[in-house]
Amino acid sequence: MGEGAIVGKRTQRRRRLTRRAFLQSAGAATAAAAAGSVLAAFAGGTPAAAAAVPKPRAGARIRLLQWNSFVRAADNELRRQAKEFGDANGLVVEIETVSGDQLQPRTVAAVAAGDGPDIIQMQYGWPHLYTSSTVNVDNEVAYLMQRLGKVHPVNEAYCKVGGHWRAIPYTQVPNAWSYRTDLFQKAGVTSFPKTWDELIVAGKKVADATGKPIAQTVGHAYGDSLTMWNPVLWGFGGQEVDKDGKTVVINSSETEAALRWAIRAQQNGIKWFPEWLDPDNNQAYHADRISATLNGPSIYIREVIEFKHFDQVTNNAPMPSGPKGSFTLNLIMNHAVMSWSKEQETAKAFLLSLMEKGNYSKWLKAARGYNHGPFEGLYDDPVWHYDLKLRAYRNVVIDSQGRPIGEWPGWPAAPSKQTSQSQTQFVVADMFAKAVATGDTKAAMNDAEAKLKAIFGAP
Amino acid sequence: MAIQSGPALFAPGAPGRGIRGPSRRRGRHEIGDSPLGRWVRLYIPVLLFLFVTLFPFYWMLITSFKSPSELLDFNQSPLFVIKPTFEHYRHLFTETHFGRWTLNTTVVAVVSTLISLVCSILAGYSLARLRYRGADTIGWGIFVTYLVPPTLLFLPLAFLIRRLHLFNNLWSLILTYPTFLIPFSTWLLIGYFKGIPRELEESALVDGATRVQTMIRIVVPLALPGILSAGIFAFTLCWNEFLYSLIFMNDTIAKTISVGVTSELIRGDDFFWGELMAASLLGSLPVALLYSFFVDRFVAGLTAGAVKG
Amino acid sequence: MSTATQPAPAERAAFRRPRIRFFGQEAPLGYLLLAPTLCMLLAFLAYPFVVGLWLSVTDSEVGAIGRFVGLGNYRHEFLHDRVFLSSISNTFVYTAATTVFKLVLGLVMAVLLNQAFPLQRFVRAALLLPFIVPTVLSTLAWRWMFDPTFSVINWVLARSGLAAHGVNWLGTPQTAMASLIIVNVWRGAPFYGISFLAGLQVIPIELYEAARVDGGTRWQQFLRITLPMLRPVLLVVLLLSTILTFADFQLPFVLTNGAPYSSSHLLATWAYAQAIQGGAMGIGAAISLVLFPVLSIVIAGVLIALQRQD
Repeated sequence: MGEGAIVGKRTQRRRRLTRRAFLQSAGAATAAAAAGSVLAAFAGGTPAAAAAVPKPRAGARIRLLQWNSFVRAADNELRRQAKEFGDANGLVVEIETVSGDQLQPRTVAAVAAGDGPDIIQMQYGWPHLYTSSTVNVDNEVAYLMQRLGKVHPVNEAYCKVGGHWRAIPYTQVPNAWSYRTDLFQKAGVTSFPKTWDELIVAGKKVADATGKPIAQTVGHAYGDSLTMWNPVLWGFGGQEVDKDGKTVVINSSETEAALRWAIRAQQNGIKWFPEWLDPDNNQAYHADRISATLNGPSIYIREVIEFKHFDQVTNNAPMPSGPKGSFTLNLIMNHAVMSWSKEQETAKAFLLSLMEKGNYSKWLKAARGYNHGPFEGLYDDPVWHYDLKLRAYRNVVIDSQGRPIGEWPGWPAAPSKQTSQSQTQFVVADMFAKAVATGDTKAAMNDAEAKLKAIFGAP
Repeated sequence: MAIQSGPALFAPGAPGRGIRGPSRRRGRHEIGDSPLGRWVRLYIPVLLFLFVTLFPFYWMLITSFKSPSELLDFNQSPLFVIKPTFEHYRHLFTETHFGRWTLNTTVVAVVSTLISLVCSILAGYSLARLRYRGADTIGWGIFVTYLVPPTLLFLPLAFLIRRLHLFNNLWSLILTYPTFLIPFSTWLLIGYFKGIPRELEESALVDGATRVQTMIRIVVPLALPGILSAGIFAFTLCWNEFLYSLIFMNDTIAKTISVGVTSELIRGDDFFWGELMAASLLGSLPVALLYSFFVDRFVAGLTAGAVKG
Repeated sequence: MSTATQPAPAERAAFRRPRIRFFGQEAPLGYLLLAPTLCMLLAFLAYPFVVGLWLSVTDSEVGAIGRFVGLGNYRHEFLHDRVFLSSISNTFVYTAATTVFKLVLGLVMAVLLNQAFPLQRFVRAALLLPFIVPTVLSTLAWRWMFDPTFSVINWVLARSGLAAHGVNWLGTPQTAMASLIIVNVWRGAPFYGISFLAGLQVIPIELYEAARVDGGTRWQQFLRITLPMLRPVLLVVLLLSTILTFADFQLPFVLTNGAPYSSSHLLATWAYAQAIQGGAMGIGAAISLVLFPVLSIVIAGVLIALQRQD
């Protein structure tokens, strides 16, 4: 049944028989007829007003630049899929991976030079920073939405600039709390705390009973500093800027409450490290020095795959909530096709092939829970079923009712250049670090306010 | 103050050449008249220096042999390796392009150094020997370029490199590295050239040689120690460079050591410490060998040029 | 090489009349010899520098050419950017402290190495190692040595009873700056030391012997003979090192990158954070260039003073 019927349905439903659409449907037909075409494997989905399908060009050579995934198997799977796509279409897809902090200077240099990789992985709000260098992908996202359903609001906030899609949603790296069940049990804490105040209670018990504190960075960690301190701030009602994206409202009693919480936590046995970078809490956990920390799934995964010391006694839990509710922040990554690319159609086609359900699922499986899908249709993946301990990572992306949750740095303002600058300058983390170090919440807030005013009011 | 000029400067094998051995005669800060005095004033401080200087290398060495679980295990002394493993070295050589990176770095360093030496010999001679308007300003201007940080330059340079279609091409580095090599070399060589007595050249000129001929036949050979020093220093700076290489060399096999190592061996929140440290040690080896052959000359050239500068 | 032969007849004439200067005739050759250098520097240094200069007076962002704003970026930085102000003072402190330490340690090292002792060659070569290993990698090693959880230094300090909990190397503003200084001195002192060593070795022994005969102590000999004789070497090394330390990027970036709470940023790393990570190119360029006028005047002054010596 498959391919022939789908093609038939498409040509029947075509409303505008533009030349492009015609060629592409013809192209789709050819591709479908060809044995290895991946695009033709899309099955199901509502064949409404069909979005045009980009067609890869045989003989093309495209390059994708992204970060090294923590789970090497995931990168290997990505490369395998790239090769498969290339072989099926007579072209070459190169995948280049670099370390996280090298991705941005490379991207900036490419944007400044007006040349570089065809596809660049956009982390956080980069589509807002480099908008003019990205290609409009409204069409492709519409295509994916037809088949995979709605986009997760956080990915959408990052990918959509000025009402247009400038990047194709790719994934989230969920962040949750990994903790040592044996140590918690020894301290008499039966389940992971559900509120920030409960966290302090538990933290004190665990530190007293075992000498191994709950710990987290309050420094310039690229991921961990954001995923920790923004939710704390929001949980108490604090915000950097107002919804309008202009008014700086950090100096408030809510923010003060959040800062006081952090100070109180430190006084009760929880440790905030101002010099920790992203690997530090991982290493401390593996070395049996701390009892719990907030992180991506990497700690748990590495225990299971490599160290096998604490894999049995590690569990994961979602973010505690504050007086104003529960908030989460995950690492968001999307793919942008760059404006200088000479093979934009091929690049788009490749990205669509990556998001095809079968392929994406294989990649999620290789990542062992490190990544989560950004489209509705990708939410319920087998990877979340085979190991129940990974559930927490799912629950910080989708809540128990199946609704997407999560915020982004700068929330509730929309992502923008200014929110990106605040993020890269670690304004929020620095504020907490200062408060915790000196106890002076007013000074910390004033400092943050001055910084934000400089950013949001800059010439 | 003057140094012996002329042929004595570089008489090969002359006992006074290079870092001379210590004077056997008493004088010049003879330290320690008694054995105890020697220990207190000489041997112990030297050992202290050695220890502080070399401990990080010892640390790199043992880290490169430690398995990850041993690395993170604090129940035993971190100062020793209990179960050494060659895994990190194996990984470095078989699963990354470390060999290729070393080759790239070497090629870039050698060619850049040669280019900058040629440029600075010519420029140094011109500024040291010839008199013309603007010479002093240009001399100062060349040196002031050091104040412009690469973190500012690399973006406009990226644009230029793209125009020249040199991305992923080692030439992008070979052409840009001299910008920070030439100023120092030129300045060092100016000092060196100035110390060579004019009479040597003048007599040659009177005999009918051209300026360029005297430069090539007389001045350059006499300045060889200084040229060598400049070359070795330049080589080291090339070896060490990071930012330009990060931006211009994108293909994995095209990278240089610093960039390749940090780019491939840091994954998300996981630092491959063993491999990183192994790479640090191996990555210093070629330059260390170079220095061990030339260290005497290097230093002599450096100081002689400086003293006359 | 036809132009090169031009001056020859004139030069021959010149040497028969040694007083006459030939500004005109030497210029073509002079500039010709300068040409390769000037070409390289103009293309790959002057051009990007001018672009950088222009960027610093616009409100450019990455990928978006901005409008001219005159000194607006500079004004904004001085008035509103606290991290910028602290990065200026940090840079001065960093440069001054490291230079002083390197100077002192370099001198001590040179005096020590000037003596005879076994394995001297090996020691000299070994001491140059910090200078040789790529900065990024050696700084990573130091970071691991300063690691709050795994610091081997703290382990030793704790075990030996010197400091019960070790030192919080990277966790407070003061210790973070101290750590930066320590690593920079570790890396740079050997270069000072070896340079001074060779400088020491060209000092004629007779001077010391004469001083001994006159009854001078070792310390007096050091002050009256060694230091003055070393002065040219001192100035060269100091000048070069100061300039390079002012613009140092790799070391502070890898070791702290501003932590804790942006208190240990130097100008170079803060400029990078603004321009590359934050996308504000105009501001980043302004930060990079803010000290340029002052420093170039200082260098000009030092160089002129050096020339006058001759």
